Amino acid sequence: MAAPGNLAVLESDLQSAVTLLKNLQDQVMAVTAQVQALTKKVQARAYPTEKGLSLLEVKDQLLLMYLMDLTHLILDKASGGSLQGHAAVLRLVEIRTVLEKLRPLDQKMKYQIDKLVKTAVTGSLSENDPLRFKPHPSNMMSKLSSEDEEEDEAEGQSEASGKKSVKGTVKKYVPPRLVPVHYDETEAEREKKRLERARKRALSSSVIRELKEQYSDAPEEIRDARHPHVTRQSQEDQHRINYEESMMVRLSVSKREKGRRKRASVMNSQLHSLTHFSDISALTGGTPHLDEDQNPIKKRKKIPKKSRKKTGFRRRR
Amino acid sequence: MTLSIGSKKFMTNRLLQRKQMVIDVHHPGKATVPKSEIWEKLAEMYKIADVIFVFGFRAHFGGGQTTGFGMIYDSLDYAKKNKPKHRLARHSLYEKKKTSRKQRKEEYNNRMTKVRRTAKANVGPGKKK
Repeated sequence: MAAPGNLAVLESDLQSAVTLLKNLQDQVMAVTAQVQALTKKVQARAYPTEKGLSLLEVKDQLLLMYLMDLTHLILDKASGGSLQGHAAVLRLVEIRTVLEKLRPLDQKMKYQIDKLVKTAVTGSLSENDPLRFKPHPSNMMSKLSSEDEEEDEAEGQSEASGKKSVKGTVKKYVPPRLVPVHYDETEAEREKKRLERARKRALSSSVIRELKEQYSDAPEEIRDARHPHVTRQSQEDQHRINYEESMMVRLSVSKREKGRRKRASVMNSQLHSLTHFSDISALTGGTPHLDEDQNPIKKRKKIPKKSRKKTGFRRRR
Repeated sequence: MTLSIGSKKFMTNRLLQRKQMVIDVHHPGKATVPKSEIWEKLAEMYKIADVIFVFGFRAHFGGGQTTGFGMIYDSLDYAKKNKPKHRLARHSLYEKKKTSRKQRKEEYNNRMTKVRRTAKANVGPGKKK
C-alpha cells in the first residue's frame, strides 16, 4: 500500500541494495581467502615470535581477539539477532580499553622498535649510534709485539681504550716542543696590576660598603660578620684540626702561619677597627698612606741562592 | 682534681691491630696535664696498662682543654711491631743506641782507610764490631 512516490524511491533503493550486497559478497570471499592463506603460513611457522618483543606479541593477540569478537557480532546481527546484552560486546569493550592503555607504552618503545627494524633492514648499525663506541680490547697494543694500533672509527673509541695502550719498546720521554714565548712584564704592567689589586681591596673596605648601604634601596642586613681575615683564618684552623684528628698526626706550623694566626686573634680582641680604616686611595686617586702603627710595605729582595760548591771564580762572571 | 677525660672519633684499625681515638681532656683552672697522668688515668679506665700509648697533646687557647691522640694495641707484640721507636722508648720498651752519629761515622771511615779497592765494599758498620 505504498504511494507511487514511495514506490519509485523503493525501486532505486532496491537497485543500490542489490549492488551493495553483491560487493559485500565479493569482498567477503576475498577476505576469507586471505585469512586462510595467513593461517596456513602461521601454522607452517613462517613467523616465529619467541625472540621478539613481548609487547608486540600481546598487541597481536589482543587485536586477533578483537577481530574474532567483532565477526561473531556481525554473524549474529546478520542472522537477525539483537546486540542487546551480548557477551561479545563486553569482551570487545574490555579489549578496547586495554589497547588504549597500551598506547603510551608504545610511545616509549618506539625508539627501540625503530632501531631494531632499521638494523634488521640495513644489516648494520647506523652512523651516529653510540653503540659503535664500545671499547675494543683487541685494538690495544700488546707489549710483546710492536703492531700499530688500528685506526679508530671514532674518537669515542680511542678515549675508551687508548688510555691503556703501552708502547712496544721503551722510548725516552721527549716533551713536546712548544714555541717559547718571551716573558715581557714591564714595569708599567706591574704597576697596573698593583693598582688593580689595591682597587679591589678598596672596594670591599668598610667605608665603601657603608656608603653603598646608604645609597642602595635594599633592606639593611645586620649580620654577625667578622672581619674577612678572621673568618678565613678560622676556617683554615678548622680544616687543620679536622685533618689532624682524622690522620692522628700533629702538623707543624710555619712562622708565617703563626703570624697570621696571631694577627687574626689580635683583630678580634683589639678595638682596632673602630679607629683605623683601610686605604681607599686606589679609588680616590691620592697617594697611598699608612697608619702610624702599621708596618711599611716591604719590597721583597731577591736573595740569590747559595751555591753548594766553591764557585768563587764563577760568581765573578 | 677536676680532670675529665673523654674520647672522640673512636676507630678500630684492623690493619695495624689497634684502636685509635682522639682524647679530650677537660681541666679547668689548672695547667696542662702531663702526659703520664693522662696515661695513668686511661689505664685505670680501660684496665690495661702496657698497650696504651698517648701522644700529641695540645692545649686550646685560654686553657682548660687539651686534645691529643691515643692508641690501644691488641697486644704488646703488635705494639712493638707497629709503633715508631721513639714512642716505645717513652714507655721504656725500647733502648736506643747510645753512640752518636759522628762517632759511628768516624769509626767507619777509619776502617775504610785500612782496606784497599774492592774490599771497601765489604766494610760495614756492623761487621767489625
